[in-house]
Amino acid sequence: MIKVKPEHLRGAANICSANGRHPLAAMFGADETNIGGKLAIYCLFYNTDKRNMDIVKAEFEDEDKLSYPCLTAIFPAAVWYERELHDMFGFEPEGHPDLRPLVLHESFPRDFYPLRKRYAVNHKVRGQRDFNMCTAQGEGVFEVPVGPIHAGIIEPGHFRFSQAGEAMLQLDAKLFFTHRGIEKAVEGKTPMEALPIIERICGACSVANTLSFCQAVEKLSSVEVPRRAWLIRTLALELERLYNHVGDTGNVCAGVGFSPMISQGARAKEYLQQLNEELTGNRFLRGLIVPGGVTMDVDDKLMELIAEELKRVKDIYSSMVKIMWDAGNFLNRIQTTGIIRKQTAEDLAMVGVGGRASGLTRDSRKDMGFGLYDELDFKVISKTNGDVEARIQVRIEEVEQSMDIIRQVLYLLRQDKTELRVDLGELKGLEGAWGISESPRGDNLQWLILNAEGKIERLFVRSASYPNWPALPIAVQGDIIPDFPLINKSFELCYACIDR
Amino acid sequence: MINMQEMLLNVLYCLGQALVLLFVAPLVSGIVKKVKAILQNRVGSSIFQEYVDIFKWWRKPVILTPYTGIIFKVAPCIYFITTLVAAAMLPNFFNKQMGFGDVFVFVYIMALGRIFMAVSSMDAATAFGGMGGSREVYIAAFVEPVIMLSILSNVIHTGSTNLSGMSLRPDELNLTVAGVLTCVAFFLVLLAENSRIPVDNPDTHLELTMIHECMTLEYSGRLLAFIHWASQLKLLMFIILFSLLYLPLNIPVVAKVLLSTVAVGLVETLNNKMRLFKVRVYLAAAGVMLLLAIVAQ
Repeated sequence: MIKVKPEHLRGAANICSANGRHPLAAMFGADETNIGGKLAIYCLFYNTDKRNMDIVKAEFEDEDKLSYPCLTAIFPAAVWYERELHDMFGFEPEGHPDLRPLVLHESFPRDFYPLRKRYAVNHKVRGQRDFNMCTAQGEGVFEVPVGPIHAGIIEPGHFRFSQAGEAMLQLDAKLFFTHRGIEKAVEGKTPMEALPIIERICGACSVANTLSFCQAVEKLSSVEVPRRAWLIRTLALELERLYNHVGDTGNVCAGVGFSPMISQGARAKEYLQQLNEELTGNRFLRGLIVPGGVTMDVDDKLMELIAEELKRVKDIYSSMVKIMWDAGNFLNRIQTTGIIRKQTAEDLAMVGVGGRASGLTRDSRKDMGFGLYDELDFKVISKTNGDVEARIQVRIEEVEQSMDIIRQVLYLLRQDKTELRVDLGELKGLEGAWGISESPRGDNLQWLILNAEGKIERLFVRSASYPNWPALPIAVQGDIIPDFPLINKSFELCYACIDR
Repeated sequence: MINMQEMLLNVLYCLGQALVLLFVAPLVSGIVKKVKAILQNRVGSSIFQEYVDIFKWWRKPVILTPYTGIIFKVAPCIYFITTLVAAAMLPNFFNKQMGFGDVFVFVYIMALGRIFMAVSSMDAATAFGGMGGSREVYIAAFVEPVIMLSILSNVIHTGSTNLSGMSLRPDELNLTVAGVLTCVAFFLVLLAENSRIPVDNPDTHLELTMIHECMTLEYSGRLLAFIHWASQLKLLMFIILFSLLYLPLNIPVVAKVLLSTVAVGLVETLNNKMRLFKVRVYLAAAGVMLLLAIVAQ
């Protein structure tokens, strides 16, 4: 970790990023006044050569002087992180092009910084601040407001389209309507107390979030997690990817009203979620992964069940994929729609399916090599077109690959006789640790510091949707507004993951 | 005059026919929905669900935004009445000899209803309404000439501009190249005119992609019932026209109507919505087929 003065943050970050070769993984603040520190900003960069994170930390001496040269000027990917730092801590990035509020909407007072320690977790506020939407102006340009309440069963988000006829000139999204303050709520809890909350940050990537958290906790102990536990964790992570990708493939078709595919996708997903329930008693695989290992074993009978269900889902899914690629009408809708160029994906440090469909080859399973992924045979799926079709293709190929990984894991599980769980013992306090895992939408990253008593001092959660959301307004440019639902669904961005 | 009594009877026949069609229409829409549900591996709602829905809306109060004017309230009624009048003009099944339905009157009475709906969509001053209205008119501009062409093709074949006169006689099937081309083209128009996939999606909840449904978003209660009922009647009328005028099959009319209804459901399942600006290519294809049909005759 490099510690620098705030005014040198940009320079140090530039060095850490190896002139942009190592993308920005996350940027977050911490109020360390209770553990003898100060207000600080952390920047994490993926270092795929060392399979580690390069960390830069800037400490601010004076709570009233929180300005520093903004990173957005050299890393566009920092734009949301810096807006959030501004909202939650009151940091002032100098030269930031767009410092509108992000998380705190107009009903919050000015000068209220919820993640600072002096605000209690149940602190009640009511106030007024400006929250302007970014819109285009000109003759004949009009705005279409959509949401935050939608016709479908989805989470709240307000979209403001600036339109010239049917063409979308600009899109601005107002999100974070149901921000739950989870990062604040877990402070002062032990990792085991916080675990059920972490599992419930998001439904779609429950396993990935839990696994990232557990890895961060495990880094603070000196115990090695047993091999069998890692095999079962890998199994859970791939099952999660599977049920999400299968369901999402069907859901993309909802954007063009291709209803047989929606039904088939939903059906295959349902089989997989019932399998999840058989394995763990929970359709989202919750309650399985804990710091130090896993709680449940997978015996021979369950292994057979998994193999059987995978075969059934594979049949449904492959017939579904065949119909999709045979439907010229459908291909016409998805090709060249919602393009993200590779440069944009790099600039925004996109992750997961969104990034890999635009030519990036980033996958934390390969890049960071957590768990047993180095022993498994798989490759990173990447497409170059960056359109809706490419994102569907990446999902389809990852489904096949996940099934293959699961088969490998089942084979290894049969031979393995190690324990399920070990006691972690005393955890190191006052020392930060990160954990990463590849969710269906990309890598979920978490940062954890415990205090001297072993309670959580700061937990930062960055799920895969966070870096990908800013790409959506760029993807829609040049397309027409009836194509928006299709483009949106092809990214399958999560609201809960950012409302943590 | 001598025909006074006959005219009265004719009016009664027409009214009777319109009412019968009106009460059959929800069933036909219900059947389309059921066909789609079965083809999508779903159980689907009952084929009588549309009646229940209309009854439900009928009893609910109408909620108006303060920005709406008189157009907003009268448009659904005009849409409903024009569709009903058009239904009365279809070839009469009580009295085969009756000749009251001129095709040109028929087409433009329907256009009147559409114009009012498009105007009313902008009345509530919401972004979606205006979007729906503009898309509806955009599509109508392409649909209308194609409908006229399909009529022209039939007029050449039968030598009459009267809907009854144009009906195919069962003994004389139009199984020529022209007949088949016209049949296919009219089916394409039927889908476009009735907001069906691949032009519009009647079942979607995605407001940004809607066309016809977009215009009805601000309506509630009885006014909504009027619009939905009229749309269902319109679908039935087009299916009947298709069966009577264009479908070259030697089977009873009821069987033809049922067959066409199932076909609508089938086509809607097999396809997905096309890009909005491709609709004109789709309708141009129908137009070219009709031109070929006319030339072939």
